[in-house]
Amino acid sequence: MLWTEANAMLAFLQVVIAGLVTGSLYGLLALGIVLIYRTTGVLNFAYGAIGALCAGFLYILITGPQLNFWLALLVTLLFALVVGIVLERGFARPVLHAPVFTKAIATLALALVLETLAQAIWPQLASPQHFFTPFEGKALNLHGLYISAIDIVILVVTALLMLGLNLFLTRTRQGIAMRAMADNIPASRLMGAPVGRIFMVVWALGALVATISAVLLASRQELISVQFMDPVLLLAFVGAVLGGLDSLPGALLGGILIGLADNILGYVLAGHTLGPLNISDPGIRETLIFGGFVLVLLLRPQGLWGRALLRRV
Amino acid sequence: MASEQTREGELAALDSAGSETQRKTHVNLGQRLYAWRAGLAMLAGLFILGLIPTIYDQIFGFSSGFQLHNLSMIGILIIAALAQNILTGYAAQPSLGNAAFFGVSAYLLTWLTTDLNQPYWVGILLAVLASALLGVIVGGPALRVSGTYLAIATLGLVTIAGALLNLWDTTAGRQDYQLNNLPAFLGDDHALYYFVFIIVVILIFLVYHLLHARVGRAWIAIRDNETAAEAFGINLASYKLQAFVVSAVLTGLAGALYATWAQTASSSMSSLDQTIAFLAMIVVGGLGSITGSVLGAIFVGFIPILLGQLPSPLAVGSFQIQVSILNTGIYGLLLLLALIFFPTGLSSLIGRGGNLLRRVGKRGGTQ
Repeated sequence: MLWTEANAMLAFLQVVIAGLVTGSLYGLLALGIVLIYRTTGVLNFAYGAIGALCAGFLYILITGPQLNFWLALLVTLLFALVVGIVLERGFARPVLHAPVFTKAIATLALALVLETLAQAIWPQLASPQHFFTPFEGKALNLHGLYISAIDIVILVVTALLMLGLNLFLTRTRQGIAMRAMADNIPASRLMGAPVGRIFMVVWALGALVATISAVLLASRQELISVQFMDPVLLLAFVGAVLGGLDSLPGALLGGILIGLADNILGYVLAGHTLGPLNISDPGIRETLIFGGFVLVLLLRPQGLWGRALLRRV
Repeated sequence: MASEQTREGELAALDSAGSETQRKTHVNLGQRLYAWRAGLAMLAGLFILGLIPTIYDQIFGFSSGFQLHNLSMIGILIIAALAQNILTGYAAQPSLGNAAFFGVSAYLLTWLTTDLNQPYWVGILLAVLASALLGVIVGGPALRVSGTYLAIATLGLVTIAGALLNLWDTTAGRQDYQLNNLPAFLGDDHALYYFVFIIVVILIFLVYHLLHARVGRAWIAIRDNETAAEAFGINLASYKLQAFVVSAVLTGLAGALYATWAQTASSSMSSLDQTIAFLAMIVVGGLGSITGSVLGAIFVGFIPILLGQLPSPLAVGSFQIQVSILNTGIYGLLLLLALIFFPTGLSSLIGRGGNLLRRVGKRGGTQ
């Protein structure tokens, strides 16, 4: 009796850890989304496609020219920076003064273009491919609690990125200018902030974060395809909105909350049916998460940690 | 003296009144002329719409049925574009949730006619009524949430609806959901074309008058300045809710017609791609414009048809590309270019073209 109880406890702990890990991935994506949204006013629906494109690049480097994983990763991260800069100059700059809504739709179009581009250049990525990493098949055993190597990497990388971004935003001139721009672009321009260059830095950073989360996700799923980020992106957006769309820690917490809810619901609902209906279907899980999200929004329209919106009259 | 002054004043007043009535008749004449011209243009448009099947028969011969079938789809898209434009372009609600109404209504119609053996017309009626109810259910909470938050929440609604409809399909163990018991005449492509476009014309007429009535003006006031509109006594909650319901009803009708058109309902009708298509139509065509809705629907509807005419696979040098892959990319690229170069939509282009013509005409007249 005791033994089974301990086992159930262990299983639940395992689920919580899985939730923290997937939540960190959602949180990382939400972080990048909020970073770009707050400073440049673009609600970036192409965020998943950017990450997928760069992760696909990594996959090609590893399978094509047979590069060492770490070298390929380094090249990919540089590639991500370039992609971010190119997108800022080629895409975000021309639509800079359009209304927020139009810009959001433009990013949807951008996502279509990027996905098609990736699929045209690398046709093999149209269907899911095996993604190799040095972490594959390694795990830590803590008294029956298994934590895979990639999960530890994800948790550590998320914590480091969050810390680094926070230091960057509060301690460096660029970061402080960035936060000033998030509040008022004309005023920061008057104070001498190089607005154009900072936009570029934001997009480059955003692309970098997108790429890191995409690579981590692909390593965890051990699968990659052109559209493998699509199902994750909406949950990341939900996490970002839960966090209030205006603070980076809020976005991370929102993402982690979604990840926990996703995994715990999956654990609780697994194997249950309601008449002919299979409750363990992902559709039901998504519906429940989404229902909770709407409930939170109704109670707190500005998100869990967001500042209340003021209306100037 | 005093009496003379007043008489002069009276005379002046009379004079000005006279000129005013004169001006009024002049304006009336101009307005009447304009109305005449607009009426003629409308009649000509209707005439062409009615003639298109005959023209298609001449051009395409045997395949004219297939081509007309494609054209009917554009009519259905026009209805969906009008719906999205009322909600987003007029009432300024950035809701991405219309695809959910589109899919749910199609499934309801199919369920009612195929599984419950109800007549087609009852199915359509109930599907549209259910859409109205859904519009209230979604619109109610939406009143509390605004902007970006609303966009994400409604986008979630679309994915959820798609997932649940898909779950329904797998639970019932079916590959595709066939729509049976259609009235016989709707199986004919010519009849379907007339059926769709008669509805489209009626709806455009109704929407035009709705937008120029109290409701439409209230929506525009809310869009332009919510605070000012509220100060003028416009009930924000009520009018926003009305926008949601009208939009849901139109989208539901479009969904039911789409199921009729395809003779199946599929869960991909409530998906991110469908949402993109709806938004693309109104943004490319022009936010807050009926002409824009029509142009946007033509843009979005015709591109896949035109791309379908390309040879497949397309060879660029030594590069072989499957056109079916490129479709979405080219579509996205065109959408991007339209957004960058015509941020106010194609309908503003027509306005500009009209102004240019008028200016040229005027210059010709004075010379």
